[in-house]
Amino acid sequence: MTLKSTSALAAVFAAAATGSAFAGNDDALDIVFINDGHVAPYHVAWLAGFEDAIAAYGEAFPDLEISGRWLSAEGSLERMIQQAEVTINEAPDIMFVNAINVDAFEPLVAQAQDAGITWIAVHSAMESADYSFTLGDITNGRNQGMAMCALSGGEPFQVAIMLGQAGNPSGEARRQGILEGISTCDNIEVVAEQPADWDTVRAQSIAENWMTQFPELDAISGVTDAYMYPSLAIAANSGRSDLQLYGYDGDIPILEQMRDGPVMADILLSGTREGWNFVQMAYRLHRGDELEKVYDFFTPLVLTEENHRLALENGFPENIEVYSVDQALDVAANGFREFGPDSVR
Amino acid sequence: METAGKTTEQSPSPAISALAMRYLVLAALIVIASLGFGFANENFFSLANIGILLRSISVLFIVSMAMTFVMLTGGIDLSVGSNVAFAGGVGVIALTATGSAPVGFLAAILAGMSIGLINGIFVGRMKLSAFMVTLATFALARGLALVIYDADSINVSNAIFLWLGGTSWGNVPVVIPFVVLVFAVLSVVLYRTTFGRDVYAAGANFKTAFVLGRRPERTLVWVYILSGALAGLSAIITVGRVSSGQPWAGLYLEFDAITAVILGGTSLFGGRGRLFGTILGVLLYGIIINGLVLTGTNPYLQSLIKGAILLSVVLLDSWTQRGKQR
Repeated sequence: MTLKSTSALAAVFAAAATGSAFAGNDDALDIVFINDGHVAPYHVAWLAGFEDAIAAYGEAFPDLEISGRWLSAEGSLERMIQQAEVTINEAPDIMFVNAINVDAFEPLVAQAQDAGITWIAVHSAMESADYSFTLGDITNGRNQGMAMCALSGGEPFQVAIMLGQAGNPSGEARRQGILEGISTCDNIEVVAEQPADWDTVRAQSIAENWMTQFPELDAISGVTDAYMYPSLAIAANSGRSDLQLYGYDGDIPILEQMRDGPVMADILLSGTREGWNFVQMAYRLHRGDELEKVYDFFTPLVLTEENHRLALENGFPENIEVYSVDQALDVAANGFREFGPDSVR
Repeated sequence: METAGKTTEQSPSPAISALAMRYLVLAALIVIASLGFGFANENFFSLANIGILLRSISVLFIVSMAMTFVMLTGGIDLSVGSNVAFAGGVGVIALTATGSAPVGFLAAILAGMSIGLINGIFVGRMKLSAFMVTLATFALARGLALVIYDADSINVSNAIFLWLGGTSWGNVPVVIPFVVLVFAVLSVVLYRTTFGRDVYAAGANFKTAFVLGRRPERTLVWVYILSGALAGLSAIITVGRVSSGQPWAGLYLEFDAITAVILGGTSLFGGRGRLFGTILGVLLYGIIINGLVLTGTNPYLQSLIKGAILLSVVLLDSWTQRGKQR
């Protein structure tokens, strides 16, 4: 699986066609990652992966003075803009920016490019950015929805969907995909949709309300694994062992819950490996590799082998790549193998 | 009341002296923080960075000055951040519909004032808790913004509308002299008008002000309207800065403003404080935020450092007050 995804990335690189000239010098690489938050479990893993990768690349390539730091806007647009302005003034080589809203950053992209900085838009693609690092959110959401169709048993089935922050492009794309996937079968009824603003605590109260409001609820679908933690607890506390959960992120604790627990499907992003992929991408740009302007992070669906078999029997498409839980855990925990220094030697 | 106002101006009370001490402490902290960050990163004192710093806190300056008026009355306005998003939305929609920047400006400011009016009526006339009322309008204004924008941003290309928030003369953002102008105007309003004296009177002792016929309930209404108008003004600056209307603009702005106002020495209980202290508070807050980003301080530590500084200033204030009382 690791080889498979590495091969997929290699294919992406081989197909490279566009990209701006990289402006860094030969013996130094300074990377700044500006994120929208830093406390959600995914963020913590993501930022830790980024830091670990910086250290590993520094150690593996002693002739290259590689440095990196991350900043968190803590959800505030104004704070993120200020951080981007300050960072542009510092003129690093590469900026990864997970913009809260891409429209607000258009003026800054031009400013960064004038300063010779390579701007990489994270998760939400930007036409003006040098590169966009995207997740295939619609496809992933659709895969989650189709898995639900295949595992819902064909009987009338109620699902409630917990969304991201209203207007967030990534969250909206995931929602669109999930609804598209669900629409491929006619037994599933979406009884509620509610934004939880990526907030685990808010997710908890929403899930509690749903359990009361919809006693026949069969499943909760979330656009992030951050919502799965409270949903798991509420399902357990209310004795609803039959409640199905459908996650998105590939957080290791949630993947571990898939073996015997109520989490039926997840999408393997894994914050750790995304952090490692950032540094690998920066390193490749620095040494002159040409990457596609829109770089798709490889994010397979995760099902237990038993559920995958059951899903296939129920008409789940065979051409959708599915990782088993063991495969997913291995990849999620070992970002260094997929994107570490050895992957670029 | 006029006498009370003149007394405050002419013969400094212990409270004013404590404020003076607070300003000295703040000024010292500003110098120390600047030198420290400048030592850690030479870019800190570059003209470009100073421009970035001042531009980034321009909205906070304006909102904090409004918050000073509100807190001088003993109130609080938690709705300002959401109001910036709401007023910006109304302004951008009006601009899009008419193509006229002045109409957009007017719409933004009137929208901000309308939220302020709601706050003012409930707090001033109906005597409800400012915390609860503005907590409600905090949610109301954000909800309205999300509805207006349909939760998505709206691009703005009108050069006149973007001028205030987006233009710089060299390294000097246009908005900085504008903030100075707002400060001057608000200073005149607060220190040289009957309304300003009524603001202090309403916060120092609401009942006494009422008995003396100063109509403090009306003062409160106007203070919240002023706060809303300045939120509208901040919305115009914010739209100019990001060339778009944003439904999530102003998130947490109220907390930053309250922090800056408290740092600047305005009492949470009303009746004591000055705009100059708020300016120092915003400046210190902005320098800390800018410096922590510039020096690459781990974000997990940043909240800790900000909290420690706030706590230190509060403790110093308490220590100074006790010293005065001995």
